[in-house]
Amino acid sequence: MSNSEGNALQRWASRSISNPERTYKALFYVLTGVFLFTTLFPFYWLLVLALTPSGNMIDVGLLPNGFNPEAFVTVFTRVPFHLYILNSLIIGVVTTAIVLVLASFAGYAFGRFEFPGRRPLMLVFLAISYFPPAAFLLPLFRLFTANITFFTLPGVGTVNSPMLFNGPGAMMLPYTALFMPLAIFILTTFYSQIPDGLEDAARVEGNTRFGALFKVIMPLSAPGVATAGVLTFISVYNEFFFAFLMTDGRVQNWATIVWGLLSYQGRYATSYNLMAAASILGVIPIAILVVVAQEKIVSGLTSGALKE
Amino acid sequence: MSAETGGSQSQSRSDSSGMFASGQRWVENLSDTQFAYLLLAPSLLLFAVIAFWPLARTFQMSLYANSLYGADRLGEFVGFSNYVRLLTGDLNSSLPRPFLDLSQPFTSAVTVTLIFTVVSVVFETIIGFGQAIILNQDFRGRRWVRVAIILPWAVPIVIQGMIFYLLFQPTVGFLVEPLHQLGLFSTTPQANSMDSLIIVIVADVWKTSAFMALIILAGLQSVNRSLYDVAKVSGASKFEAFKTVTLPLVLPSVLVAMLFRTIGAMRVYGLITTVSSCNTVPSLSCLVVQTFSTSRYAAAAAVAFVTAALIGLVVMVYIVKFADVQGSGGI
Repeated sequence: MSNSEGNALQRWASRSISNPERTYKALFYVLTGVFLFTTLFPFYWLLVLALTPSGNMIDVGLLPNGFNPEAFVTVFTRVPFHLYILNSLIIGVVTTAIVLVLASFAGYAFGRFEFPGRRPLMLVFLAISYFPPAAFLLPLFRLFTANITFFTLPGVGTVNSPMLFNGPGAMMLPYTALFMPLAIFILTTFYSQIPDGLEDAARVEGNTRFGALFKVIMPLSAPGVATAGVLTFISVYNEFFFAFLMTDGRVQNWATIVWGLLSYQGRYATSYNLMAAASILGVIPIAILVVVAQEKIVSGLTSGALKE
Repeated sequence: MSAETGGSQSQSRSDSSGMFASGQRWVENLSDTQFAYLLLAPSLLLFAVIAFWPLARTFQMSLYANSLYGADRLGEFVGFSNYVRLLTGDLNSSLPRPFLDLSQPFTSAVTVTLIFTVVSVVFETIIGFGQAIILNQDFRGRRWVRVAIILPWAVPIVIQGMIFYLLFQPTVGFLVEPLHQLGLFSTTPQANSMDSLIIVIVADVWKTSAFMALIILAGLQSVNRSLYDVAKVSGASKFEAFKTVTLPLVLPSVLVAMLFRTIGAMRVYGLITTVSSCNTVPSLSCLVVQTFSTSRYAAAAAVAFVTAALIGLVVMVYIVKFADVQGSGGI
């Protein structure tokens, strides 16, 4: 028995040596399997926990300890989780729209004009995305909580910054600034690749400068605009720092899924099945986006990163 | 470039009258440079308010003494002494956790941040390279393997944290007990600084290796295929071809990916908050937030600015080095 096993091993080894392609092939499948397992297992584990009844939350193995899908309903009754997700989606969509408009203008300027200060300005814009959010936090927090005095009018009193804390603006403004540089770089690349002739033709036909941008250049760069949009939305939906610090965490104060999920940790400290079910629900929108837009994500990330 | 012909044609439109039309005429008569700056104006304004002013103000705040009184909580002007006191450890009494203390590497902010950054970026580079090599092959189902590999990258930080919080829950998960038996973990890893740091690193590697993989993949795909034929003809094995053809050509994109990940890793905050706590794993961003919440604005500002400066330093080192590798790649 051990002899035949040894022979099989020997035969396999000699075949591998004589035919290295086979070995590489085998190695390739093993490696692919390992990577698929490590990336997907945590999601499976969430499902296992979400399906385990709350009474059985001890030493859960690779299969659910019992079966009870009720957690997917209870998550919404304990915490208005759907509203937290809705807040996240609204803030994500609105921020993405603002970023796309502003980044289109900037990308058009960088991509189609040669002007003094172009290169230094691009470097400055890029530098913004390098800085950690913590470096902006203190003044921004004071600004958004109406603690910064703009000016003092004699007889009237002081005019302070508006109270944005606990509102969408306190998150959307920093997000726009933080995630716009990447969108600008993606769009600059796309705009610079459009042949000059097309734009000239549009202008001769009587389009204004903005007309040429919106009617000719932007439609032609639709793939670039979509790429920038997908990446911006994912970044906003992902964000933690400002989402955590710019609201008090109540859902009516525009708290996002960050607070939605953390509230299970705080209030229902042992309801692990709820945390798992909520995590799965929170991943679904982004998972759909990844499946639908994977080409855009790949091209956007690589062009954004390799351009400078 | 293309738009310098001026806009005399467009004024012939019969409906152009009033404010809108005169605004349009004004835009048409701008020079290219003026028009470019007009387009950049909204972004510049936003960056000025949300990025440049806060950064300058943070620096300014860091030059004052802490004070628990007054509207802005700042005492007298002290110049750079906050920075000096940060480095000498004098300021640690105003901070919830020490800034830099080599005798307790797992609870001082600079060491925690550096350990986290170096270890996670090294593992992400290795794993990302492996994933990139797989995604570079042609095989059936490649599209879905790519989706699976990208998916963790798109998962929100709070959910990423929740996943690993649950995986390493002592009573629930199946990981803690065997790791404890092996003597690697304590029984309550989420309350132990070193264990929590390891969990946070594993979580970060899980999520962001894909980012590395995609950028390295772009580098791999730009390698001219005929170079492999040359290597094959000259009798090189696959491994030799990898070493002499692939590696040098892919190196620039690996370096870019490492830079981006280093910058990202040095800001770590949300993952720590979700998996463990800022008290257990005090990263630099954690220290800024916690010092700020105890109303020690000047100290918090100094830590914040040092964090920004450290990242700036990494970028500088990289740009200087990278300029040699790639020549004048240019924007």
